[in-house]
Amino acid sequence: MSEAVKKDQPKVSVPTVTFSLDGQSVTVPKGTTVLQAAKDVGIHIPTFCWHPQLKSVGACRMCYVEVEKMPKLMVSCMLDAMDGMVVQTDSDQVRQGRKAVLEFILLNHPLDCPTCDKGGECDLQNLTFKHGVDDNRFDFKKARFKEESMTTTFDDKKIGPEIVLNRNRCILCYKCVRANKEAFGEYDLGAFERGNITQIDAVPGGEVCNPFSGNLVEICPVGALTNSDWRYKIRVWLTKTTPSLCNFNSSGSNIDFYKEDHQNKIFRVTSRTNDSIDDGWISDITRYGYQVINSADRLQKPLIKKDGKQVEVSWDEAINFIAKKYNDIKESVGRVCIGGLISPSLDNRSLYSFSKMIRTVCKSNNIDFRGDYRMLPNNPDSPFGVLRSQPFSIAEIDDSDVIVSFGSDLIHEHPNEYLRIRKAFNYTQPKIYSMMPYSVKSADVANIEYVYTPGTDETAINAICLAGIEENVVDASMATEYIKHVVPSTLKDASALCGLDEAELKILARSIAEGKKITFLVGEIVTRSKARDIITAALLNMNKLFGLSSKGQISILARYANSKGAEKLGILPDPIAPIKEALKNDFEEYPESEPRNTDGMMAHIRKEEIKGLFIVGSNPMMLYPDKEFIKESLDKLDFLVVCDLFETETTEAADVVLPLAGWAEYDGDYVNLEGVCQSAKQAVKPAGESKAAYEIVRLIAEKLEHKTFDVESIDKGVEACLAIDTTIKLPNEFLDIKAESEDVTGEFSHPIFIIDDAHHCGHLTEKAPSLNNFTAEAYLMMSEELAAKNNMQENDPVRVESEVSKLILPVKISESLDSDVLLIPRNFQSSPVTSLCMRKRRIDRVKISKVDE
Amino acid sequence: MILTEDSIAKIKAKAVRYPRKKSAILPAWTVAYRQIGHVDEAIYKEISKVIGVPMVEIAEAATFYTMFPKKPRGKYLLQVCNNISCALRGSDSMITHLENKLDIKLGETTDDNQFSLIAVECLGACATAPMVQVNMEYHENLDATKLDKLIDDLKAKKD
Ligand code: SF4
Ligand code: FES
Ligand code: FES
Repeated sequence: MSEAVKKDQPKVSVPTVTFSLDGQSVTVPKGTTVLQAAKDVGIHIPTFCWHPQLKSVGACRMCYVEVEKMPKLMVSCMLDAMDGMVVQTDSDQVRQGRKAVLEFILLNHPLDCPTCDKGGECDLQNLTFKHGVDDNRFDFKKARFKEESMTTTFDDKKIGPEIVLNRNRCILCYKCVRANKEAFGEYDLGAFERGNITQIDAVPGGEVCNPFSGNLVEICPVGALTNSDWRYKIRVWLTKTTPSLCNFNSSGSNIDFYKEDHQNKIFRVTSRTNDSIDDGWISDITRYGYQVINSADRLQKPLIKKDGKQVEVSWDEAINFIAKKYNDIKESVGRVCIGGLISPSLDNRSLYSFSKMIRTVCKSNNIDFRGDYRMLPNNPDSPFGVLRSQPFSIAEIDDSDVIVSFGSDLIHEHPNEYLRIRKAFNYTQPKIYSMMPYSVKSADVANIEYVYTPGTDETAINAICLAGIEENVVDASMATEYIKHVVPSTLKDASALCGLDEAELKILARSIAEGKKITFLVGEIVTRSKARDIITAALLNMNKLFGLSSKGQISILARYANSKGAEKLGILPDPIAPIKEALKNDFEEYPESEPRNTDGMMAHIRKEEIKGLFIVGSNPMMLYPDKEFIKESLDKLDFLVVCDLFETETTEAADVVLPLAGWAEYDGDYVNLEGVCQSAKQAVKPAGESKAAYEIVRLIAEKLEHKTFDVESIDKGVEACLAIDTTIKLPNEFLDIKAESEDVTGEFSHPIFIIDDAHHCGHLTEKAPSLNNFTAEAYLMMSEELAAKNNMQENDPVRVESEVSKLILPVKISESLDSDVLLIPRNFQSSPVTSLCMRKRRIDRVKISKVDE
Repeated sequence: MILTEDSIAKIKAKAVRYPRKKSAILPAWTVAYRQIGHVDEAIYKEISKVIGVPMVEIAEAATFYTMFPKKPRGKYLLQVCNNISCALRGSDSMITHLENKLDIKLGETTDDNQFSLIAVECLGACATAPMVQVNMEYHENLDATKLDKLIDDLKAKKD
C-alpha cells in the first residue's frame, strides 16, 4: 500500500503500530513506512527516489535510518513501521551512511552546478552542502555520455518537444520513468542499458510528448531533465512565486507563477501541490499555458472600427463610443436590445459584473456563458440542468469501488480526474468502466471499454438499465415502471441499436447495482450534444433505477475554469429560483424581459430584434459548431463589442475591440467543478493597456450613469450567490425516453467529433509556443484500419467534406481509435473545423478523400 | 511483419504460460533471435503487438541483456571470453589474432558479413580457457593455430 493512499484516506478502524522515532513515540496505521511516519510528525529524512504519489522502490539509499537490533542501516522508504521499533533518523551512523551514499552518487555526477539550470533548487546540491561531502576518493575518469555537438559535461539530448536530458547528471532514481508509467500510464520514456551506461531516454524512434510530460522535469531531483521553456533564462533564486490556478481546466490545478522583479513577465509554472485537487501533478496545458499571457501578440490598446478599418484609440474614446452607440440604439428602437456572451474561464467578479451590466444597464436577460454548445435548453431545471447541478468531489474518486466515465475523453477534458482514477487503478483497484462513442486512450484503466454507435447515447444508457432489469439486480416494481417509459424496452433491441454487447452490459449493470460507493461522471460528449436533454434524462432514469446517487456521486462535470462559478452566479438567461432571488435582492431592478440563451440571442439577432452584442473572452466564430450560421448572425448586428486577449475572427467582426487582461494579471476567484472557490493572485501587470473584464464593465456602466459596479458591491453580490446551494432536486418520476435516430445520408458517412487536442484547450493556447511544439496544426485523426482502407499514411493531406464545407487536413493515425469515427481538434484558427458542422445535426458526418499531389 | 507466422505462433504459445504479460519478453526474443539473428526497434514493435506489452518495456529489457545482438551480425558470431580465467590464459592475444586475421576490430563485422567479433564475460568454460563461442558452439583450449584452423574451416564451409 502506498503512502499516497494512506495519506489521503486515513482509515478510521485500521490496526495501528506504535514505535519510537528519535525518542518520540509515534502511532501510525499498520503498513505505514517509517519515512511516511516521520514526514507525518515533521521529521525530515532526505530522499531522492521517493515520491508521495509513487510506489517506493528503494533505488537511491539516501533515506537511511538506524534501527535498534537491525545490523545495518535501513532504507526508511521501504521499511514498514513495526511495534516496538526504535528508530534514529539523525545518529552519527546515519549521517555517515548518507554521506557515503552521496559520495557514491557523486561518482559520475558532473560538478557543473554553475551552468546547470537546477542549481538553487537541486536536491543533490542541497544535500551535498548539508552533509559536507567535499572530497571524492574516486580518481578514475568519470563515466560520460556525449552527444556529437557537445563538449565535456554537456550532454544535451532533446528527448521531447519540451524536455532536454543530460545523462551525465542523472542519478538514476527512476522517478521520471516510474511516474510516467505508473502515474500517467504513458510509455514514451524508459531506462535503458545497464551498468555504467544505464540511461534514461525516450522510447526508441519516439519522443516524450505525453500530456503530462512536464511533471517529469519537475520531479527530477537533479538537473538531468530540464525544460526547454525554462533553461538558461533565469536563475531560480532571482524569481518570486505567486500562487495561482490553471485557467484551462475545471478542477483549478494549483500552480505557482515564477516571475522576476524587474521584468513584467512570467518565467514558468510549477505545481503547488494540493492533494484534494491535483496530487501535485499538472498537465502540460497547465504548465505551459502561461505563455499565452507573455505573448507578443496580445492586444495592447482599444480598437474602433473607422471606415471599415480597426484603429487604435484611447480607453476614453472607446468607452465614449460604446456609450454613444448604446444610446443611439436605445433611441432608434425605443428600448435597449442588447445581449451578452461571456467566457466561463473568467473570474467571479468579471462574470458577476457582466451579468449585472446586462441585467441592470441593458435591462435584458440576453445573457449566456455557453458559446460553443448546440441548441441550448433554456430551462434551468431541464434534465441537463438538474444533473449538472449535482455535487462532485475529486477526492471521493479515491475510495469509490465502481467508477464509470460516460461520454468523456478524460485525459483531454479532465486530466486531473483521469490521474486520480489512474491512482485508484494502481492502489485500490476499483471496477472502472468507460463508455464513449469512440475508443479513447483514457480507457486504458478501464476493466471494460464500451464503444457505442455515435448518436445513440441515450440508448446506451437505457441498455445498462435494461441489462440490470434482466439480471434482476434492480427493484422489480421500479423495473416494471421503468419499462413503460422507454423505447426500445428490451435489452436485445437496445443493445442492437447502440451496438453494445449484452453480456458486457450485464457486467456493468451488476457493478452499478452492487457497488458500495460509485462515481459516475459525465463529460463533453453529452454536454456538447444537441440531444443532451434526452441523454441526461436517460441518466436520471438510470440513477433512479439503481439508486446510484444515494451511494456515491453522479454529475456532469463542468469543463472550464469557472463554468461552475458561472452557473452559481446566474450567468444564464434564466437562473434557478434561489439565485434569481439573490440577484433580485442585489440589483436595483431585475429585468422582466424574455430570457434568451446563446441560441435565442442568435435567432433574435437574425430577426434584427437584438441590435447590439457584448462578447467577453469568447470566440464563437472559431468555436460555435456552425461557422456559417454564427458569421451570418454577427454580420447582422448594428453594434458588436468584443473583449479578448488577442485578435481573433470574432474581434475582426467587431465595431469596438477592448484588450482584456489575462488571468495572471489580476486577482480573481474561480469556482472549480467541485464547487470549491479558489483564488488566483496577480503575478504580473496587465499587458499594454489591457484591463480585467470587471474593470471594463465598470467603465462602461459608470459612463452610462450606473454607480454600483465598484469592487465592494460586486463582491457582495458574488458572495451572496456563492453561499447558495445550487443543487437541484432529482426528479421522482421516470422520464420518457424515446431513442432518437438520425438518417445517415449516403456519401457523408463518417461521424466526426470536434475535440480539444491533448496539448490545447479552447482558442487561446495556440499562443503558447511550448504547446505548439507538441501540436501546432489541426489534423484528421483516424484509426489504423481506416487509414489502411483508404490507403492513407500519417501526414497525408486529406480532403474532409461535409454538406456545407470542406477542409484539407493532414492525417494523424491514432492507436486508440478503432471505428470509422474521425476526430478533429478545434484549437487552431487556421483550420476552422466548426465550418464543417451544422447546428441542426446531432452528429456531423463527412466524407474523406485523398488529395493527389 | 518481419516475424514469420511460425515465430508468432511460438511466441504466443510461450506467452500464455505467464500470469504477467511482461514475463513473456525474454522468451519472445529467443524466438525472434533464432529467426532473425538479432533484435531491433522493428522487432520490439512487433513483439509489443504480439504479447501486448508497451514497446518501451521491451526495449528496456532488450538493452539490459547484452547477449541479444541489437544489429545484424555476421553469419558467424565469434564471442571471445575475456573474463579472468581466459584473460590469464591469453584471451587478449586471441582477440588480437582474430582482429588481424579477419581485418576487423572488436565489435565489428567483416565486409562479406561472414564474421562478427565480440568479447564477452565468463562463459563457464574456465577449465578449458581460453575459449570462443561461435554461434551456439564452444571451441576451447585455443591457441593461434587452432584459431586459424577454426576460421579457415568456417570460411570453407558451404551454405
Ligand atoms: S532523469 Fe532525473 S528523475 Fe529521471 S532517473 Fe535521472 S535523476 Fe531520476
Ligand atoms: S528515498 Fe529511500 S531509497 Fe531512495
Ligand atoms: S573466464 Fe572465460 S570461460 Fe570463465
